[in-house]
Amino acid sequence: MAETILELLDISKSFEMTHALKNMSLELKAGEVHAIVGENGAGKSTMIKIMTGVHKPTSGEIRIDGQARTLSGTQAAREAGIAAMYQEPMVFPDLDVAENIFISARNKGLFLKPTQQRQAARALVTRLGMSLDVELAASGLTLAEQQIVEIARALSEDVRVLIMDEPTASLSAYEASQLRRIAKTLAQEGVAVVYISHRLEEIFEIADRVTVIRDGGHISTRPISETTADLMIAEMVGRDVGNYFAKIPGTATDTVALKVRNLAVDDVFEGVNFDLHKGEVLCFSGLVGARRTDVALALFGVKPATRGTIEVNGTAVEIRHPKQAMDIGIAYVSEDRRKLGLAMPMSIQSNTSLATLGKFLRRFGLLDRAEERNVAEAFRKRLNIRTPNVDIAVGTLSGGNQQKVMLAKWLNMEPEILIFDEPTRGIDVGAKAEVHELIREFAKAGGAALVISSDLPEVMALGDRNLVMREGRQMGVIASENATQEKIMALATGQQNLREAS
Amino acid sequence: MTRMMEKLSPQTLRILALLAVLLVILLFFSLVIPNYLNGRLFNRISSSVAIMALIATAQTLVIITRNIDLSIGSILGFVAFATGSLVTNNPDLGPVPLVLYSITIGACFGAINGVLVAFVRVPSIIVTLGTMALFRSVLVEYSDAKSITTSNLPQWLVEFPNTVLFSIGQMQFRAAFVAAVIVVLIVHLALTRLNAARKLYAIGSNPEAAEMAGINIHKTVFVAFVLSGALAGLGGFMFLARFGTITVVAGLGFELKSVAASVVGGVNIFGGSGTVIGALIGAILVDVIETSLVRWQLVSEFWREAVLGALILLSVAADAVLMRRFISLRRKRPKSDPIPEKTSVLDGEAR
Repeated sequence: MAETILELLDISKSFEMTHALKNMSLELKAGEVHAIVGENGAGKSTMIKIMTGVHKPTSGEIRIDGQARTLSGTQAAREAGIAAMYQEPMVFPDLDVAENIFISARNKGLFLKPTQQRQAARALVTRLGMSLDVELAASGLTLAEQQIVEIARALSEDVRVLIMDEPTASLSAYEASQLRRIAKTLAQEGVAVVYISHRLEEIFEIADRVTVIRDGGHISTRPISETTADLMIAEMVGRDVGNYFAKIPGTATDTVALKVRNLAVDDVFEGVNFDLHKGEVLCFSGLVGARRTDVALALFGVKPATRGTIEVNGTAVEIRHPKQAMDIGIAYVSEDRRKLGLAMPMSIQSNTSLATLGKFLRRFGLLDRAEERNVAEAFRKRLNIRTPNVDIAVGTLSGGNQQKVMLAKWLNMEPEILIFDEPTRGIDVGAKAEVHELIREFAKAGGAALVISSDLPEVMALGDRNLVMREGRQMGVIASENATQEKIMALATGQQNLREAS
Repeated sequence: MTRMMEKLSPQTLRILALLAVLLVILLFFSLVIPNYLNGRLFNRISSSVAIMALIATAQTLVIITRNIDLSIGSILGFVAFATGSLVTNNPDLGPVPLVLYSITIGACFGAINGVLVAFVRVPSIIVTLGTMALFRSVLVEYSDAKSITTSNLPQWLVEFPNTVLFSIGQMQFRAAFVAAVIVVLIVHLALTRLNAARKLYAIGSNPEAAEMAGINIHKTVFVAFVLSGALAGLGGFMFLARFGTITVVAGLGFELKSVAASVVGGVNIFGGSGTVIGALIGAILVDVIETSLVRWQLVSEFWREAVLGALILLSVAADAVLMRRFISLRRKRPKSDPIPEKTSVLDGEAR
């Protein structure tokens, strides 16, 4: 095969305590489409950031054309001919298409040459086999068109390695096929295309080689002809035995707490059907773009459902706003603690009472600080939040303790149905086990829990049943006694249909 | 009509919309104020706009990069005083060294802002809120409670702003106004024709993408602040020439006026878009309203500020409505794809 352009040798990267990459190796050759697959959190995005100069590796070596190189920043990576394209393209909404394409071009001279630039832009767009008005402001482009702009930008800089991160996750089938055609064409022109995707069928269509990564490390690299979907899935999920959590016995009752039929949000997800029983833990599995969070947001009224029915305790309800959801006993613990979960500079005490301030109001609307403190202290003991006192800012706590404060906030509402979105993302193993126990306790006391998780061992240990989603569709529900990681992954990647699974 | 619309860029449309609003306001005041539209009105407004245009341009450069410069008024005040005292002590200095001196001091102050914002990475609103007070205090200390007076200034300097270069009817085109317009035009040409200027817009439009595109954000933002300071310094020179008497309160409140002029002139306060020609018209618009209100008998002194605020809001609203009209006229042509909604933070997994 052709010569090697870029090599990663034993690259490690750690952020404070967590190791995002451990001795990762990768070799990219000119003219190949190199697919990279791995679970959520396997280290793909960190690897991209190392290659594009955003992060510097903690140890290891990057070689370009056989020479060891240090990428001092994004500019250096671009000069070396390495460009990346993201699921959400990096465009400048206020600039037009031509300006967007040539924004990082060098040696352009002092003056803008709009006519010349537009001609060059048209030529690039045509070379990609697309038609696009290059004088249009980028704010008016569709997602697919914005990606075309990004590819054209990379081409304008004589790209040698083009990294495409989940490029088709939000595209329509037709747009996705066009994008794959472009990726293939670029490879034929000698570019090394790194193609990251959860859609295994895409990989079989265009990739020349496939690398599987897991837990920040390299697992295998094979020519596409020597691998199968089953093999890839097995390698993606295979873990050391030590990482498994003990299976906790279920406490599900026969009473249905939440009944969801044909739930849909137009153009986002559709056909979601399930019964959630009191005392049950139902897990939602799936990969990036499966739209699980959107189901949760619909149930919590943040982005209300456009079709389908929701019944809570046998009564049909319509949920148009989070307030309504809370009034009927639904709470939602967000995956994004920083943005949607906690007020980081505020104290534990204030965060605990945030969703239920009404409970703490006394005469004249004054806040009962003493009662607030008592409740916060009670939760601190019950949830084992490790902190000297409840006055300190939540932002200073560890991830696991932050998660517990968030739980306290919602448990204080005494919900009947609790939706957890990635409850253990980014927290250490010990805290994970504690959070699992809390979820279990909640269910045992008669609550109904819905847990969205990308962590397969967690799903296996925690869930009484698993609902698997893929690209906005429900792929199946597997009872925990029948579930294996491979089965879930096969559904999540679309390698197995509903009938075979159940 | 519609075909002509298609050919014009959104920026040009915005300027047309602003001019339309300006025209309506002039017509309105000419109805309620007797003897309104005459040469004196033009002369009065063009004189004060000469200074405002410069600082609105300075502010626009910074706002485009998604920042703000609240120290402009203090820089202008300090430069006016410092230049005044330099020429008081050295009456033989000609215009070139004086202008260079003003611009250099302004640029130095701008560089202080720039370092703190771009390299120390303190939000610009905090940095310039601090330096606004700081630069003003430096002026108080430096001036030692003295003032610059017109009598100490060389004759050419005092006469410069009011020198009539040419007249059209009663309208006198005075040197200060013409000079300011020329500066605005130069900056406008630079912003629209220079490659480097695209970086300013790119950073304001999407800072993350700008970083990914290999643009040196820190350097570019720093340069924007230095240029802003330099233009404020030039404004200080104009201020000295026009008023002659400079005290420690020179330029007080100009920072907010410059923001008002920019925003009224269609500069997006969140960065990424806007023109200095727009800012110039914005400055004229604010000044016309301000000056005319003084002469409008119906509005008492106490209500003047309120009416000014209301009219500014009204003209911004009118401008926004007009822009939408223009754009919908342009959109009439068939377009295959709808505009995608920007994905919100709530899109969890979609990211």
